[in-house]
Amino acid sequence: MSSQTVDRARSRSAAERLGDALTGVNAIAYCLVLPAILLRLAFTLVPALQTFWLSFTDKSLMAPGRFIGLANYVAMLSDKTLIGSFGFTLFYTVTSVALETALGLAIAMLLMRQLRARWISNFIMLLPWVMAPLLAATVWKIMFYEDGGILNQILRDLGLISSPIRWLSSANTARGSVVLVTVWKNVSWVALIFMAALAALPKDVYEAAEVDGANAWQRFRAITVPMLRPTIFLVLMFRGMGEVQTFEQIGGLTRGGPGTATQNLAYYAYQRFFQELRYGYGSAINVLLLLLTALIGGFFAWRMYKASSR
Amino acid sequence: MAARTLSPLHPQRILLMALLLLVLLFLAFPVYFMLVTSLKSSGEAYRLPATLWPHNPTLQAYPFVIKAWSYWRTLGNTVLVAGLAAFGATMLGGIAAYGFSRMAFTGKSLLYATVVGSMAIPAMVTLGPIFLAYKDLRLLDTHLGLILVFMAEGIPVAFLTLFSYFKAIPKELDEAAAIDGGSLLDIFFRIIVPIALPGVAVTFLLLFIAGWNEFLFAFTLTITPSTRLLTVRLFEIPIRADANTIPYDLIAAGGMLILLPLVPILLRVQKQLVEGILAGAVKE
Repeated sequence: MSSQTVDRARSRSAAERLGDALTGVNAIAYCLVLPAILLRLAFTLVPALQTFWLSFTDKSLMAPGRFIGLANYVAMLSDKTLIGSFGFTLFYTVTSVALETALGLAIAMLLMRQLRARWISNFIMLLPWVMAPLLAATVWKIMFYEDGGILNQILRDLGLISSPIRWLSSANTARGSVVLVTVWKNVSWVALIFMAALAALPKDVYEAAEVDGANAWQRFRAITVPMLRPTIFLVLMFRGMGEVQTFEQIGGLTRGGPGTATQNLAYYAYQRFFQELRYGYGSAINVLLLLLTALIGGFFAWRMYKASSR
Repeated sequence: MAARTLSPLHPQRILLMALLLLVLLFLAFPVYFMLVTSLKSSGEAYRLPATLWPHNPTLQAYPFVIKAWSYWRTLGNTVLVAGLAAFGATMLGGIAAYGFSRMAFTGKSLLYATVVGSMAIPAMVTLGPIFLAYKDLRLLDTHLGLILVFMAEGIPVAFLTLFSYFKAIPKELDEAAAIDGGSLLDIFFRIIVPIALPGVAVTFLLLFIAGWNEFLFAFTLTITPSTRLLTVRLFEIPIRADANTIPYDLIAAGGMLILLPLVPILLRVQKQLVEGILAGAVKE
């Protein structure tokens, strides 16, 4: 057979395969699955590609936008506020995700032991979960009021502090306060996921370990954590992708302040795009946010896949 | 677990109970404080130091906020947008999940990865281009525009949640119906949906709650008060004409007015909601 014939045979089969793909079972399946997927892509992939394109232009409300290559990205390198908000985004994401995971696992293990009145604890757990992030921020902002606000009042009555905590007006405490609200809002979801995973663990392994004389901490280290690995990575993936793009808590609690102490990437990008109307520069920051989110999601999805296929 | 065999007064058991109560207090206190603040008189709400319970409980903050926010109209907008979007996403995502759970087709795993992968695109990244496109398409400040965005936001959740419910339904059921000559959509609506109805209902509720709470798109894509949704109102603090202090009682009452309509859902279908949350996140 000459090479031409082989090529033709190949191209014909490729065409046939394309034909197959558009007829019969495939055609019916595409009719079912494509409407959802196309709508989803129209509102995620398409705008994300536009964001990429805008990030290479100087488009603004006034300017129609010319291609300016990497100029926006070069400008980002010398934008001190941006570098600060990148740093805060990393700090905020790492701290809140770590706290949510550790606390969520602890709460799940505590609640697993409680057998009576489950509906009350479930109801209380679901309250923060069901509240809008902006609503959570609003509620906490009332409690954070500094001179005579309820939190400082309680802490003083308990003798824990002598002077009021500057919840939102000092840079370091404000960073911590934003993390606190996020952890409060999201720890329930983490605890629910861990409770389901804990309930699915085989009981006989624990019994065997107990017979062998392993104490509670040893059982936790040697059995619970290794067997929960896929769930832990799942939690880190979802919460990591969620916290890295936080907007409402920042807007509702501090608006990025004091100064720019709690400015994060999403809030900074929003201000550049919608307040300064610098579409190009705002989009370049959004590209950074997109890459960071995809990196977190991809990394933990990969670890989860490896942990669960072992 | 060891704790179950301990006597009720064992120190370890008491310690664990105390910890549990502490956790529940941490989770519940902000909501409690919002409730009591909303029941305070305007004078007590900003009296310092703050009080732990209302000394003269009153509902006077509520009518004020209801009027200032045009609450009933805003509530109607929210129910309409969140409801239609949740319905649309449940339908589209459900039909797609049905296709994925029942059929083998070219590019299946690629399309699956596309849906899941699209979850890694932050809302903030899509917001700008959607805003600019909506301006050109005259979808800005319309409920249709919001419904479309909320639907697209909800599709991965609907898809993953319903996929895990549908996979649990034996294929023999719909194969039997196919032999009787039903079309695929026919089988979906007459056989699969009724069997998976709890799952479908929970998916709808999860998406409804998500739409109810959405802020970023609802804030950016609406302009006039008459199209705005409930969470966006939180950014507009109602102000009393005669006072220049922050009206904590009004803010808290506003918060309660956003939270309260969801409480019956939490009480009535709590177990199913938890199952739905798990079905969407934990595959297999």
